[in-house]
Amino acid sequence: MTAETIIQSLASGLLMGLLYGLIAVGLALIFGLMDVVNFAHGEFLMIAMYATFFLFVFFAIDPLLAAPLVAAALFVFGALAYLLIVRFAVRAKANAGMVQIFSTFGLAIVMRGVAQFFFTPDYRSVTHSWLGGKTVSVAGIFLPVPQLVGALVAIAAFGALYLFINRTDFGRALEATREDAGAVALVGIDKNKVFALGWGLGAALVGLAGAVMAIFFYIYPDVGASFALIAYVTVALGGFGSVFGAFAGGIIVGLVEATTAMLLPPSLKAVGIYAVYLLVVFIRPRGLFGSM
Amino acid sequence: MDTNFARSRRRDLIVAFCLAATAAVVPLFVKDSYVQNIMVLTLMWGALSQSWNILSGYCGQISLGHALYFGIGAYTTTLLFTKFGVLPWFGMLGGGVISAVIAMALGYPCFRLRGHYFVIATIVIAEIGLLLFHNWDWAGAAMGIEIPVRGDSWLKFQFPRSKLPYFYFALALACVAWFVTWWLEDSKWGYWWRAVKDNPDAAESLGVVVFNSKMGAAAVSAFLVAVGGSFYAQFVSYIDPESIMGFHISLLMALPAVLGGIGTLWGPMLGAVILIPLTELTRSYAGGSGRGVDLIVYGGLIIAISLARPQGLVGLFSLGRKEAAR
Amino acid sequence: MNITRRNVLLGATAAAALGPIAARAQTSEVVIGVIYPFSGASAQMGVDAQKSFETALDIINKNHDFDLPLAKGEGLPGLGGAKIRLVFADHQADPQKGRAETERLITQEKVCAVIGTYQSSVAVTVSQVCERYQVPFISADNSSPSLHKRGLKFYFRAAPHDEMFSAAMFNFFDAMKKKGAKIDTLSLFHEDTIFGTDSANTQLKLAADRGYKIATDIKYRSNSPSLSAEVQQLKTANADVLMPSSYTTDGILLVKTMAELGYKPNAIVAQNAGFSEKALYDAVGDKLEGVISRGSFSLDLAAKRPMVGTINTMFKEKSGKDFNDLTSRQFMGLLVMADAINRAKSTDGEKIREALVATDIPGEQTIMPWKRVKFDELGQNNDADPVLLQYIGGKFVTIFPPQAAIAEAVWPMK
Repeated sequence: MTAETIIQSLASGLLMGLLYGLIAVGLALIFGLMDVVNFAHGEFLMIAMYATFFLFVFFAIDPLLAAPLVAAALFVFGALAYLLIVRFAVRAKANAGMVQIFSTFGLAIVMRGVAQFFFTPDYRSVTHSWLGGKTVSVAGIFLPVPQLVGALVAIAAFGALYLFINRTDFGRALEATREDAGAVALVGIDKNKVFALGWGLGAALVGLAGAVMAIFFYIYPDVGASFALIAYVTVALGGFGSVFGAFAGGIIVGLVEATTAMLLPPSLKAVGIYAVYLLVVFIRPRGLFGSM
Repeated sequence: MDTNFARSRRRDLIVAFCLAATAAVVPLFVKDSYVQNIMVLTLMWGALSQSWNILSGYCGQISLGHALYFGIGAYTTTLLFTKFGVLPWFGMLGGGVISAVIAMALGYPCFRLRGHYFVIATIVIAEIGLLLFHNWDWAGAAMGIEIPVRGDSWLKFQFPRSKLPYFYFALALACVAWFVTWWLEDSKWGYWWRAVKDNPDAAESLGVVVFNSKMGAAAVSAFLVAVGGSFYAQFVSYIDPESIMGFHISLLMALPAVLGGIGTLWGPMLGAVILIPLTELTRSYAGGSGRGVDLIVYGGLIIAISLARPQGLVGLFSLGRKEAAR
Repeated sequence: MNITRRNVLLGATAAAALGPIAARAQTSEVVIGVIYPFSGASAQMGVDAQKSFETALDIINKNHDFDLPLAKGEGLPGLGGAKIRLVFADHQADPQKGRAETERLITQEKVCAVIGTYQSSVAVTVSQVCERYQVPFISADNSSPSLHKRGLKFYFRAAPHDEMFSAAMFNFFDAMKKKGAKIDTLSLFHEDTIFGTDSANTQLKLAADRGYKIATDIKYRSNSPSLSAEVQQLKTANADVLMPSSYTTDGILLVKTMAELGYKPNAIVAQNAGFSEKALYDAVGDKLEGVISRGSFSLDLAAKRPMVGTINTMFKEKSGKDFNDLTSRQFMGLLVMADAINRAKSTDGEKIREALVATDIPGEQTIMPWKRVKFDELGQNNDADPVLLQYIGGKFVTIFPPQAAIAEAVWPMK
C-alpha cells in the first residue's frame, strides 16, 4: 500500500466524516433538547434529497441554491413532525422511551411508503450541477468538489449552530428548556414552541445535508437506511446531546471507516466503526463528550 | 394483596392453559396451508417476543440486537446438520447454549450502559455478527445454506408440505416462553426488577444482585430466541445472513411486545396475534401493487398504537392485574 | 340501521369470497403466479417486471402478428382459447416470505405455474415449494449458477446463468488478446450479497483457468454510504479491465466516485445488474462511454427481427423504458411457460412439466439472441447464448459473439 493510497483514503474519509457529522448533528440537537432519538432521521434525509431532486428537475435550481430552500422546507416538516406526533409520544405516561422510539420508527416506515407511493421506487439522481463530477487534485490527492463543499457547509453549520445556541435568545431558551423544562414554563416560555423549533432546526440541518448529498448520491425511498445507523453511532460516539460531539464523532467515523477499508476486506469496513463505538462507550459510557 | 396476587397468578395459568388447548385444536379445523403458515409465524414471533420481553421488558434493557441470537441458533443447527449430520434437535440445544454464553459475555460490559447507548450497542453488535456471517465462506457467506429436505421426518424435523408439526412446535415454544415469564414474575429476580424499575435508586443498593439477575435474564432470553432461530431455519429450510440476522428481525421481536404491552405477561403474545397476521395480510393483498401502500398502513398503525396506548393493548383486556403488577 | 348495514357488509364479503371460486370454475382461465419484490429496496425491479409480464400477457391473450409462440390468435388454443391471468405476489426480498407467498399462490390462488424472482436467495425457497407441490417454476431472471444444480424436477431456466455470462466475457478477452489488445490483469469489484459473491467466484475460477492475473478482488458492502476507499484500491491496482458486479445504487456511486478520484480504467466489463439499468445511465451515462456489459438481450436485434422493436415499443408505452436484460428475460419466461401449458393442454403440474421438458423453441421465435430454448436434464437452457454489449453514443451495441455482433468493440474505452 503506497503512501498516496493512505493519504487519499484518509482525505476521503475526513470529507465523508464531516458530512456524517452534518447528517448527525440534527439528531444530537434534538436529543440534547428533549432526550428523544428520532428514528426517522434517515427518512428526513431521504425527503431532503427528493426535495433537492425535484427542485432541480422542475425548476432547474442547482442543489447548492436549493440548499437553503430545502433546509426551510425541512424546518417546517420537522416542526410538524414534533407537533403532530412526537409531542404526544413524550407525553406518554407509561414506557415513554419505548413509545418515542416506536412512534418515530412508525413515522419512518410511513415516510418510506409515501415516498414509494408518490415518487415510485425508481433510482434518481441530479444529473448535472455546478459541482457534480468536479474534482480538485492536490499533489496527486483528489478531493471531489461536492464533498469538499459539503465539508465546508458542515463546518459552517457547526459554527453557526454554536453561535446560535450561545449567543441568541432562542438559543438560550433552548438551553434553558433542556436543563429544566418545568422551570422555563414559570418564566413564560412555551415548552412546546421551543421543542417544535428545536425539531425544525434539527430537521433543517439534515435538510442541508440532504441537499449536498443529492449532488453526488443516488436517491430512492430506502436511501435513508444507509445513513441512519451511521448517524446514530456518530451521535452516540460523540455523546448524546453534544453538538460538538456529533462534529467530532463524524470525523472519527469517517476516518475509522477509511482506515478499516484499508486493513480489512472493504465489505467489513463498518465493523471498524462499530468496534470503535463499543470501545469508546465501554470506557466512557456517555460517549466522548456526553455530559448527561 | 399477596393473596390477591397469588389468586390472579393462578388465574393467569388457567387462562393460558385454556388458550393453549384451544390453539392446539384450531389447525384441525383450519386446513388452509397459507393460514396455517400465518399461525405458525404468529406463535413463533409471539414466543420470540415473549423471550425478548424477559430482558427488555422486565429488566428494562432494551435490546434491538436479538437478531444475533436468532441467527446463531439458526446457523448452529444448520451448520451442524449440513456439515456433520448432527440432528437439528441437538443443534437447537447447542445453539441455545452458545447464544446464552455469548449473551452473558456481551452483557457484562453492556449492562453498564444506559438508555440509548445500550440500545445502539445492541444494534451494532448484531450488525457486526451479520457482517461476519456475510463474509464467512465456510458458513456459506452471502450464498446461505439450503437444508436438503428429503421427506417427512421427526428425527430431522423436516416436513415438505405439512405445517402441523411446525405449528405444534411453535405452540410449545410459545408455551415455554410464556411459562418462564410467568415463573420469573414471581421469583426473586422478578421482585428485584420491579423494584429497580419503580425506583432507579434502589438499583444502587441492590447493585450486584441485580447485575447478576440481568445476566441471567440475558442468558434465558438469548437461549429461547436461539431455539426460535433453529426452528425458523428448519421451517424455511434455507438461511442466509440477510434474512436471518438483519435488523428487521430484531425489530420484529420487539414490536409485538411494544404493541401488546412491554414488560407484561400477556403483551407479547397479544401483540403478535394482532401484528403478524396484519403484516402478512397487508403484504399478500396490498403489497403486490408496488406502491408502498402496505408500508403506509403498517407504519401508520405502529404510530397510532404506540401513541394511543403507550402501556400496550393488553390493558384493554381485563386479563392482567394492573393493580398487582404496579 | 346498524344491523342492516352489517348484513349488507356480510353479503358483500360473502360475494367477494365466492367471486374467485365462481371464476375458477370456468376453464377459460389459466392462472400463473408471478413473485417479485414490490416493496423495499428493490421494489423498482418488481414494478418493471410487472410491466414486462403484462406486455407478454397482452401478446398471449390478444391477437398479434408476431412470430412468437401464442402471439397469433387469442389465449391458449390448446385449452380452447383459455386466457392467462397473472397473480402478482410480493416477497420483499425475504426467502421466508417468498416461500409463504408461493404456498399462498399455489393453495389459495390455484396457480398452475410460478415465475420469479429477481433475488436468487428467494428463488431457492420458491423453487423448493414448487417442487414440493409439483408446480413448475420458471426462474426468469435469476443468474446464480447454483440454482439449477440442485436436482429439482420442476425448476426451469430459459436464460443464461453467471457461468455462461462470465465465460462469454473471458471468450471475449481471449479474442481481443488475439487481436493484440493488452489484457493481462483484472480487477474484480463485487457486492457482498449472493449475486456479487456468486459472480466473483465464477470469475475468479475462469481467470485462474485461462491465465489472467487478478490484480485485486474487492468485495464491498452493498448500499454503502461511500465507496471512496474501495475505488482508491481499484485505482492503485490499475488493472487492464475492471469487472464490476453491482446493483444500480452501488453502480451509480461507483462511477461517480471513480470520476471524483480521477480513476479512468482502461476498460469496464460489467456483470449486467446495475449496468443494464436505465437509472444508472440517466445518472452517469456521460462517464460510461464504451462500457461493456454482458446481457441476454440487445435492442439492435430489431434490425434483423423487426418484431423486437415493435414489442419494445409496447413495453415502453407501459413502463417508459426500453427492454433491458432483466425485463426481456422476464418477458421470455412467461412466453415459454405459456407455450408449455398450451402444449400440455392441461393445468396439471406434471403434464406442464413434461411439456416444458419437451420445449424446443427456435431462437428466431424469441426476442433474444439465443440459439433456441431447450432445457437440459437439470432444467437449464444451454443454448441461451449471452452477448456482450457496448454502450456507445447513448445506446447499447452488440459486440460479441461475432455471429451476433453488429459492431467492433471499441478498446480501450474512451
